[in-house]
Amino acid sequence: MTTETSRTPLDPVTLGVLGGAFQAIGLEMGHALKRMAYSPAAQQVEDLGGGLFTREGLEICESDTTPMHIGSIPAYVRGFMRRLEGRVEPGDIIIHNNPYHGASHSPDLCVAIPIFDEGELLAWSASTIHLSDTGGVFPGIAIDVHDVWAESKIYDSLKLYERGVRNEQLWQFFIDNTRTPSYVVGDTEAMIAAGRLGERRFLGLIEKYGRDTVMQGVDEFLDYCERMMRAQIEQVPDGTWEADGWLDDDGRNRDQPLYVKAKVTVEGSEITVDLSESCDNVPTGFNVPFGGSVLPGIYTVIRSVFLDEATFTDFIPQNDGIFRPIKVVAREGSIFNPSFPRSALSRVCPIMRVSDCAIIALADVVPDRVCAGCSAVGVGVYTGYIPELEEYWVHVEINEGAYGGRHGKDGLDAVDVLTVNSRNTPIEETDWLFPLHTVRYELRDDVEPAPGRWRGGMGIVRENQFVKGGAFTSETDRAYDPPAGLFGGGKGTTLRLTRIDPDGAEHALHSKHTNFTMEPGSALRWQQSCGGGYGDPLERDPQAVLRDWLDELISAEGARNDYGVVIAEGDGSVDHEATAALREERRAPGAGT
Amino acid sequence: MAGANGHSSGDPGATVRVGIDVGGTFTDLMLVDDARARVTVHKVPTSPADPSLATMTGLRELCELADVGIAAIDQLLHGTTVATNIVLERNGSRTGMITTRGFRDLIYIGRHRRPKTFSIYQDLPWREPTLVERRLRLPVTERIVPPGEVYTALDEDEVRAAVRRLRDEGVEAVCVCFLFSFLNPAHEDRVKEILEEEFPEAHLSISHEVTPQHREYERFATAALNAYIGPKTSRYLRRMNESLHELAPDSDFHLMSSNGGTLTVDGAAERPTQLLMSGPVAGIIGGIAVGRSAGFDSVITLDVGGTSADIGVAPGGQLRMKHLYDTNLGGYDVMVSMADLDTIGAGGGSIARIDAGGLLRVGPQSAGADPGPVCYGAGGTEPTATDAQAALGRLRPQARLAGRLELDVAAAEEAVGALGAQLGMAVEEAALGVTQIVTQNMVNAISINSVQRGFDPRDFSLVAFGGGGPLYAVDIARELSIPRVLVPLHPGITSAMGLLASDLKYETQRTVMLEAANADPEAIEAAFRELEAGGRERLQTDGIGEGARVFQRLADCRYVGQAYELLVTLPPGPVDADGIERLAEEFEAAHEREFFYRFEDTPVQIVHLRSYAIGVMPELRAEHLEQGTATVPDDAFLDRHAVLFADGAEHARHDTPFYDRMKLLAGNVITGPAVIEQLDSTTVLPPGVTAAVRADGTIVIDIEEAR
Repeated sequence: MTTETSRTPLDPVTLGVLGGAFQAIGLEMGHALKRMAYSPAAQQVEDLGGGLFTREGLEICESDTTPMHIGSIPAYVRGFMRRLEGRVEPGDIIIHNNPYHGASHSPDLCVAIPIFDEGELLAWSASTIHLSDTGGVFPGIAIDVHDVWAESKIYDSLKLYERGVRNEQLWQFFIDNTRTPSYVVGDTEAMIAAGRLGERRFLGLIEKYGRDTVMQGVDEFLDYCERMMRAQIEQVPDGTWEADGWLDDDGRNRDQPLYVKAKVTVEGSEITVDLSESCDNVPTGFNVPFGGSVLPGIYTVIRSVFLDEATFTDFIPQNDGIFRPIKVVAREGSIFNPSFPRSALSRVCPIMRVSDCAIIALADVVPDRVCAGCSAVGVGVYTGYIPELEEYWVHVEINEGAYGGRHGKDGLDAVDVLTVNSRNTPIEETDWLFPLHTVRYELRDDVEPAPGRWRGGMGIVRENQFVKGGAFTSETDRAYDPPAGLFGGGKGTTLRLTRIDPDGAEHALHSKHTNFTMEPGSALRWQQSCGGGYGDPLERDPQAVLRDWLDELISAEGARNDYGVVIAEGDGSVDHEATAALREERRAPGAGT
Repeated sequence: MAGANGHSSGDPGATVRVGIDVGGTFTDLMLVDDARARVTVHKVPTSPADPSLATMTGLRELCELADVGIAAIDQLLHGTTVATNIVLERNGSRTGMITTRGFRDLIYIGRHRRPKTFSIYQDLPWREPTLVERRLRLPVTERIVPPGEVYTALDEDEVRAAVRRLRDEGVEAVCVCFLFSFLNPAHEDRVKEILEEEFPEAHLSISHEVTPQHREYERFATAALNAYIGPKTSRYLRRMNESLHELAPDSDFHLMSSNGGTLTVDGAAERPTQLLMSGPVAGIIGGIAVGRSAGFDSVITLDVGGTSADIGVAPGGQLRMKHLYDTNLGGYDVMVSMADLDTIGAGGGSIARIDAGGLLRVGPQSAGADPGPVCYGAGGTEPTATDAQAALGRLRPQARLAGRLELDVAAAEEAVGALGAQLGMAVEEAALGVTQIVTQNMVNAISINSVQRGFDPRDFSLVAFGGGGPLYAVDIARELSIPRVLVPLHPGITSAMGLLASDLKYETQRTVMLEAANADPEAIEAAFRELEAGGRERLQTDGIGEGARVFQRLADCRYVGQAYELLVTLPPGPVDADGIERLAEEFEAAHEREFFYRFEDTPVQIVHLRSYAIGVMPELRAEHLEQGTATVPDDAFLDRHAVLFADGAEHARHDTPFYDRMKLLAGNVITGPAVIEQLDSTTVLPPGVTAAVRADGTIVIDIEEAR
């Protein structure tokens, strides 16, 4: 940051007031995006984000939406400024989605508005929305794609508006190259409007407090957040820890699992997450853009461990100050830093998996801040063609996962985990708007939660019938390598993905499919993986075991085998005497496992 | 009742009406005797174990003060936090659910979004606890699909088995939650019949009756919450009703609903989720009445209590409703209409401290009423917002806030001074800093609801009440360029006044999901007529004559494909093609105001129709102060003190007069600096502002144009 040693620091009141104002602007931009957005993915799922950034792209504030979005915008700004440096003018609006120059992945289009004061570029007001289709080889998302040109049209550092005038040629090209023009146009216009809102608010602050004070406030507020983050990291002893795991496959080459590893080093108030020992980049779209996805993903989980919003009572916003003490390394040519021109479209599973590794790596050093292994997200993209509209319907469904057990608490059941934080779409919207029929949506009942003193979270089962047929793309993982248990807790449960014919015949599927055709009446069933357990199950409070039995999450047999708890089924209570005896027997050296 | 339909004898237009607002600490009462044009107010401590006890005591005392027999009360309006407290204290009734097979856990999963993005150790508020335990969520075979067809028939044997199981489990309330029931309620209706047959003592919440709108999680969660609070709330209401009718058999007893509407005792007992904002909404209505009486329709209301501040924005004197995506209470989603009211953790008891990064913060932690601020001398040791005001000299030791002993201003100065020392600030700077942070928190909250919704604060008046509102109001108004502040005569009982200032208002609604351009005006007209028939029936029961009935038609609209609706009023008269066009235009204007944008080529969709059936109540007759001159009478003068005020970056002590509010006369004019004291509030006038006392007792403070 700027270091003008002569500058007197702002007083804590002014700084607090400005910090609050930045935060309010981020929230307001998010509110505007959500309310105006057009595609169901943007408006219901909230697969979007926005905020303010310095002229260099450092994050000042962000909306409270999916963290992968906002945290990625600094990389977008650096990406488009490589071409536009010195050529940005008032009234310009820039669009950008090049995954090799900052994009989180190519469907996440960034719309950036430069904020000028007296002819000088001061900051950016920018947002991204996951557009439902950007004209790749398949509708919506795809995994098995050849290269970056196949995944999407690339809009690299383009001025959609130049000095306030829209480039109609570019706009027409943009509209003509999506399968879902009405969604994409609406979402893009929403980003423009949210960007203008952020610009107006930031200029309002400058008018009120003066440019120097506001810009100094930006610097000092980021420094303040950096101090808070460093203070937490500093409390942890120095050292290096690691954790690894396997992804199912790359979506084309079946039965070839992919190795991922996170090596975490704490040194003073800095933390380094090195992913270099992970596998090489893959030939499909199952790679992760480094700047736009690896960085925000790792920032998100490291911040969650060290400045957990639930346990750390002072609200500390997410901004560049939080990122500064965190260094992320990934070998060029690895899955987390792919070599051009490989596709990096389907990045959500690998980044989530390695984020999970980074948390597990820290288990021994901060056992009361981590959780056991978490499940994978399950993104389903459902599409079909509507001849009368000459347009596709595209529905993006984000199936939630579950957290692993935590110190003192069970893992959260059925919730978005780690780097994703979206919302499900109401069945009363999907089944009304799309030719889909939801058959089931509830907690899985074919498996029991991973045992532990604090058990793992339960995943969901969801079954969707394609009433008129169509196609799906599935982007999920954990079909083979279940979420890890910690400190004696059991492993979680693997994912099951199943296709069901209209006559009821069931077919087990791999976790990743691209544009798989569905006949009318066929259904897709997701049984999402479940989180790992934390701590010795024999230590679990018998009343908690009883509660899970009463709630039909575990069987009496499960209570006995997993937890050493004997439930008197007749009167629905714990047989304490039998439980004590059974637990003692289990704990005896050499007792069967 | 209103006009010629009233029960009162003598003057046919005259009635005796009582408003009772039961808050957490105090029960506020106000009586309006129209015949004698008299208003009487009273305040008693709330009896938390059974709030009806204090209410009845207060009512007897109020009637004595007003010299009115209790039996002469025609109408009693009640604002209550009973339902709210059950939710906040998590002590509702054991509840069962009957739901569509395959969807047992919808209220548990929610929208699967975690409230905190950066947290592993958070709890999900709607599962703390889940309102219906999994073991009591019983799926049965049935399915309705759009547009309302029966896809799978209801298995009544399963229903009966489920009902018996819930009865055996000892639940007190049952909710029935089926997918798409708002399109075809046949299955939910049938289960209701079976429940009434097999389990008549249970409190029932049928999802399409509780809120007939789409979005299954929100509807089910609302029905579950309704069931959870139903048994206790309905018992309380019936007890109140009986106690009241023993004393005043001819009185009508109504409750204020969260959207400023009216509920009968039976209506509230069946759908207690409509009571969740009953208390605070009356405050906004009271603030609107204060503004209207002073000739200012558009108001921003600010009610500052000990731990929190409630903020409302009413353009043109109209209550605004929250979007149904934002309506929740205590972590639970509730899809019922609620006035747009923002509550922030900033009150007189909010604690000031320095965080680990060196930033000064005030709240949300609060010293509350016990031990309270340091200056109360009741054991509080951490400096609060009130202590900062005391250290600035704005609260005299003799002010006896909230009826307490003398304030220990020296202790407040010491505590604020210790905080300042950590920041290298003098006590006065620290006290100003704390006050500025509190002010800014309120400014941000008001800004979110006004500026950010496209309303210009310069068109509004700030109505400040509660114990702390008038302390901060002028500073807030200056920050937001609000041209004037209004402080009502009784800042502590504005909610009770709001109860009396409101009309009877019943709301009915239906989901239609039509494109405006293709909508059949006759079908919409027919739907509104049906909705209005329901409202008309209720007004009839309340004895509201034709002349006092008003019907309003509204619609929740969005652009096709959007997920968020905005509430828009239909033009008056029967619905025709032109009216629908104007509705669409009105929606687009509202969208542009809120989001600065129109989607020019996208059709407008009408999602829900809403009808308000309104029984117009007589205007609240204002109290009249004795007329004085511009000069404040000598006996109103209390004291002089050096009080600290900021002027930009500078600050200085000013020799400041203190006045007794109760001795001020109509027409008095006071120029700041000045402090006006009364039993339950303190009004601060910084240098340069001018306040005038109106005949109705309201103080109108003009904020000078230049700063």
